[in-house]
Amino acid sequence: MFASFVKAFKNLFKEPQTIDYPATPIVKDEGYRGLIEYGQEECIYCLKCEKACPSGAILFVPVENPPKNEKNKKGLKYHYNPHLCIYCTECVRACPKPDEALWQSNKKPPIGIKDDKVNEEWFELERLKSKD
Amino acid sequence: MKKTINIPLGSQHISLLEPVRFRFECENEKIVAVDSDVGFVHRGIERACTTKFKFDGVGYVVARVCGLCAITHSLSYTAGIEKLLDAEITLKAKYLRVLLLELDRIHSHMLCLSHTCENAGFEAMFMRIMGDRELIMEIQELLTGNRVQFDFISIGGVNRDLSPEVAKIILERLKIVREKTLGYMDEFKNNWSLSLKFKGIGTLSLEEAYRFNAIGPLARASGLKIDVRNEIDYLPFSEIGFVMQTQSGGDINSRNIVRLNEIINSIEMCENVINGLPEGEIFTKIKGKPKGEVVVRFEAPRGELMYYIKGNGKPILERVRIKTPTFACIPAFSHIFVGQNYADAPAILASFDPCLSCTAK
Repeated sequence: MFASFVKAFKNLFKEPQTIDYPATPIVKDEGYRGLIEYGQEECIYCLKCEKACPSGAILFVPVENPPKNEKNKKGLKYHYNPHLCIYCTECVRACPKPDEALWQSNKKPPIGIKDDKVNEEWFELERLKSKD
Repeated sequence: MKKTINIPLGSQHISLLEPVRFRFECENEKIVAVDSDVGFVHRGIERACTTKFKFDGVGYVVARVCGLCAITHSLSYTAGIEKLLDAEITLKAKYLRVLLLELDRIHSHMLCLSHTCENAGFEAMFMRIMGDRELIMEIQELLTGNRVQFDFISIGGVNRDLSPEVAKIILERLKIVREKTLGYMDEFKNNWSLSLKFKGIGTLSLEEAYRFNAIGPLARASGLKIDVRNEIDYLPFSEIGFVMQTQSGGDINSRNIVRLNEIINSIEMCENVINGLPEGEIFTKIKGKPKGEVVVRFEAPRGELMYYIKGNGKPILERVRIKTPTFACIPAFSHIFVGQNYADAPAILASFDPCLSCTAK
């Protein structure tokens, strides 16, 4: 009983367990699973990442002005949906050139707001893909 | 004239973590009959597994069944597929799987204990245990890259290796958690609101545990020696130092003590895994499509989790059936309530540690 009183009194002068966010930034771990990043020059357009993705967050869609790359014979462009991605890194494991063409960063995903038309644009891409 | 009154508990109630509805038929203060409904968070995951997703992505889908036992779900599914494909994974991958499985058990049991404290009106203890649970959550984030959705297990092994620095941090943190858990044990045995108040409340005898097919900590608190970790040889539990924890009381206090003992045992197992981690690869590439049917069982924090998988040689599976621990325990739950005071119902319910998003999936 007495010990718990002493403990309670000491706790009054202890620092809180919580941090003073946003004045103190959150320390992000190096190995945090964040956004998937893409190196366009190194990509060989094998489409393995697209097939491996469980949630379908990577799409290669044919466009009019495709990025200049000699391996890109079908005129495809890489599209990535950070709101659909589950950051499981299946795509990075499937990639023949990991760390150069496709890698995982520890960045946080952006906030998706209605005005950005995130869903509409993505549905349009999925429609183009299914036509293809 | 009718002498009983119906009092509902849920689907939204201050003492509930997840939506479940109980309708108690009460005679004065005593509960005489119980009716329950668990299907409030149905998301159609079993159907999605057999229509929308290919078999190699389903492991990530079933991990979203439940936030607390995500690892057990993906592990059960992956083990089933590996059995169907006749694949053997390395011993190191098995050890890492056990490590995360046991870390998951520790934090799930801590959540249940803190919730029990909250329902006993002991808010300070609730805060303390939840604060200490963060240590485990941070370990999990270091190990897998995420706090809740680990996505650590894939068909053929595990996704990340354990680096020596992370191993050192895990051992340090586990030491702190062990000391804290021994402190809780003292509180749960001697504190009036957590021990004496809970003794003899919500009792399930050994015969009743047999009759109602109770599993998990609920059955072990009644003295029923049932634990899947003791029965399967897929993962090397016995060589890592698994010891079954049982009590004989069958009441809320016994369930708490079983959970505390299991936390201590799981910490020991984690330490043994890290200290005796074998050398080797963490991932073996597996080819083929699943054909045939398989049943896999694993011990989730709440009891036995069963997966039935049927494949027909195509990328999309024919059937995935998930039988979760809480679903199997519902007859026992309903029986325990009968004869208890209505005022004790939230405390009894918290001691079951029900997981409704698992049950309704």
